[in-house]
Amino acid sequence: MNFDLSEEQQLLKDSVERFVSDNYDLDTRQALSKNDAGFSDTYWQTMAELGWLGVTVPEAQGGFGGNQADTMVLMEAFGKGLVLEPFFASAVLGTRAVVAGGSSELQTRLLPSMVSGECRLGLAYAEEQSRFDLEDVVTRAAPQDSGFVITGQKSMVQHGGSADQLVVSTRTSGGQRDENGITLFLVDAKAEGVTVDSFPTVDGQQASEITFDGVYVGADNMLGELDRGFTLLQDIAIDGILALAAEAVGAMEILYKDTVDYTQERVQFDHSLADFQVLQHRMVDMFMEYEQCKSMLYRATLEVVQNGRDAMRTVHALKYMVGKIGTFIGENAVQLHGGMGVTEELRIGHYFKRLLVIDAQFGNSDHHLSCFAG
Amino acid sequence: MDVDLSPQDLAFQEEVRDFLATNAHDPKTDYGQWRLNWFDLAKAKGGWDVPKWPTEFGGPGWTPTQHYIWEKETAVAQTPWDLPFGLSMLAPVLMNYGNEEQQQRFLPDIRARKVNWCQGYSEPNAGSDLANLKTKAELSEDGSYYTVNGTKIWTTLAHIADWIFCLTRTSDTGKKQEGITFLLIPMKQEGIEVKPIITLGGSHSVNMVHLTDVKVPVENRVGEEGKGWGYAKGLLAHERTGLAGISKSLVALDTLRLQAGSVKRGNATLLDDPAYKSKLAELEIDLLATEFTELRSLASAANGAEPGPESSILKLKGTEIQQRIQKLTVEAGGIYSSAWGKKPVGHSFAKGGMSGYLASRAYTIYGGASEVQKDVVAKNVLGLKKAK
Repeated sequence: MNFDLSEEQQLLKDSVERFVSDNYDLDTRQALSKNDAGFSDTYWQTMAELGWLGVTVPEAQGGFGGNQADTMVLMEAFGKGLVLEPFFASAVLGTRAVVAGGSSELQTRLLPSMVSGECRLGLAYAEEQSRFDLEDVVTRAAPQDSGFVITGQKSMVQHGGSADQLVVSTRTSGGQRDENGITLFLVDAKAEGVTVDSFPTVDGQQASEITFDGVYVGADNMLGELDRGFTLLQDIAIDGILALAAEAVGAMEILYKDTVDYTQERVQFDHSLADFQVLQHRMVDMFMEYEQCKSMLYRATLEVVQNGRDAMRTVHALKYMVGKIGTFIGENAVQLHGGMGVTEELRIGHYFKRLLVIDAQFGNSDHHLSCFAG
Repeated sequence: MDVDLSPQDLAFQEEVRDFLATNAHDPKTDYGQWRLNWFDLAKAKGGWDVPKWPTEFGGPGWTPTQHYIWEKETAVAQTPWDLPFGLSMLAPVLMNYGNEEQQQRFLPDIRARKVNWCQGYSEPNAGSDLANLKTKAELSEDGSYYTVNGTKIWTTLAHIADWIFCLTRTSDTGKKQEGITFLLIPMKQEGIEVKPIITLGGSHSVNMVHLTDVKVPVENRVGEEGKGWGYAKGLLAHERTGLAGISKSLVALDTLRLQAGSVKRGNATLLDDPAYKSKLAELEIDLLATEFTELRSLASAANGAEPGPESSILKLKGTEIQQRIQKLTVEAGGIYSSAWGKKPVGHSFAKGGMSGYLASRAYTIYGGASEVQKDVVAKNVLGLKKAK
């Protein structure tokens, strides 16, 4: 048994932590989030140059050939810096969709440009009525000529505005909430009939509502098999949840440590706040919950690396904990910072907001608790 | 033991409902004009524009039960927006400790909603430990004015206020609570600088206020020099009971049910989701109990008794309930709860839900952080010694 990082992972960790500490102070981050794309093109290029965008791309396609544990190393560090670049949307969700579902021709066409940072992907799966249910799909893809015509509306597409290609879940047969009859397609974001309406999210990132109005795609742009796209979508979601959980654990670490520091500096009633036992115990609780969440992150990640989708139940447990513990740690970090905690001036509020957004992605804690309970 | 309203109270309730229904805002008419008219009409009812003011200052002189009825009915009905700073926070201090000239100078404008006040209490190093405040006021040699220097923080709406009522330090000797003086200071003058503080929801309502060599005539001092802490303390107690917001929470819970009921899940709605349903139920149970805690507190006040131990938990429970309602609104928003654009995306309530939730995190901080409130309960109610 060994929970140490491999030598390669340790190098990756050192390099990404250096990137975050050199480039991601709060002021820089806030300024970047306000530009049009909501992130830095320069940083994106740096990520490409350092090989991060190909971390889970097979070596044959110019990638690093890594797995979810390698992504975890990157995402945890990104969580500590509240990194804005669409690594998650493109290099985690997009890569998984293409690697697991794309024909070898499609992979050869797309993956090298994803590794080099030229091509970014986004995942369009949620719809207004679907809430957290991946199988609830109304957007239709109807056969036409040698391809399909897509019509419908997708919601809350993370970084949809900066994506060049969109992975879209569609209904090709069956009823609105059937797992069978879902098919994934890769759609050019600039194709005729695609309308992307972008807006900020509460954590300073961006998302889009995307309308597909009779958008034609060739059959060679199908990901996975016709009508069998649900399991592929689940696999993408599993990787997504693991990555978000790693990011959340990074953010939680900042929150509890900043709180421990602040309460030692802040003096009220002639004592530092950290002298009060009730606050000490609260911080011990924050720390314990953080460690428990990290344990579940390791557990779920290792199980998925070994057993793939058979580890689904542990993934549910993880996402439940991420939502519940993220809220607990975030709310208490704010509470123990007092008035300063509710301002945009300190960084803790921004980490708290990121954790709230993570809870709302790929199912919140209630959703996963009920999935776990079965 | 019963909770029935007396025939007189029932008649009063009817009268209040009638007034609120008759004078509700018609969206076709101008809001600002309606607002000012509403206060005039309320005034004509016998001081309903200043429900908490005593009769000698033109208030209605209601019993605690009548106040409760008013709170409950106005939480449901649409009433014009109002600010508490002049009306509920400063006015009682002026009535109790101000001189007649100050009362005549300030109270009519407060009542007419003509002058905006803000509260200058907290400082960067005086939050929960308010008595630690350092803003210095020095009396001139001829005794005609104070020179004020210092910084106030969390000053709500200082950027639109005409006046600030300030706690200042006039003496460093003795206990921290001694040597604090209550001053009234016009905002629009040299030496006062207001800097916005942006809060988590991205909005600007609180500020930092720097005072540099601000001259304040001695006639703007309320009561005696060095006695300001005592004047402010009564006011803080008022602030705390007003923060429980039980009536508003009852209305908010109804709204939450409607919102959750509008969220579709297949053929059902979020209200059919077992996990969500049980959280709503837990919330409702707590609210039902807290409503009665408030009624018990009210009943003892109605009998002229000192507030009982039950009243000390109202702010703690009330704010916690408000936060839980906000959290459940965020959860009802689902994937849309994180949308933050200018235009609404998805469920119409989702964006407001998140901003409400973020704002609600301050409820357990301002007006005495919950941890400090519990210290007070431990000491004053349970009779425990100060903990280490």
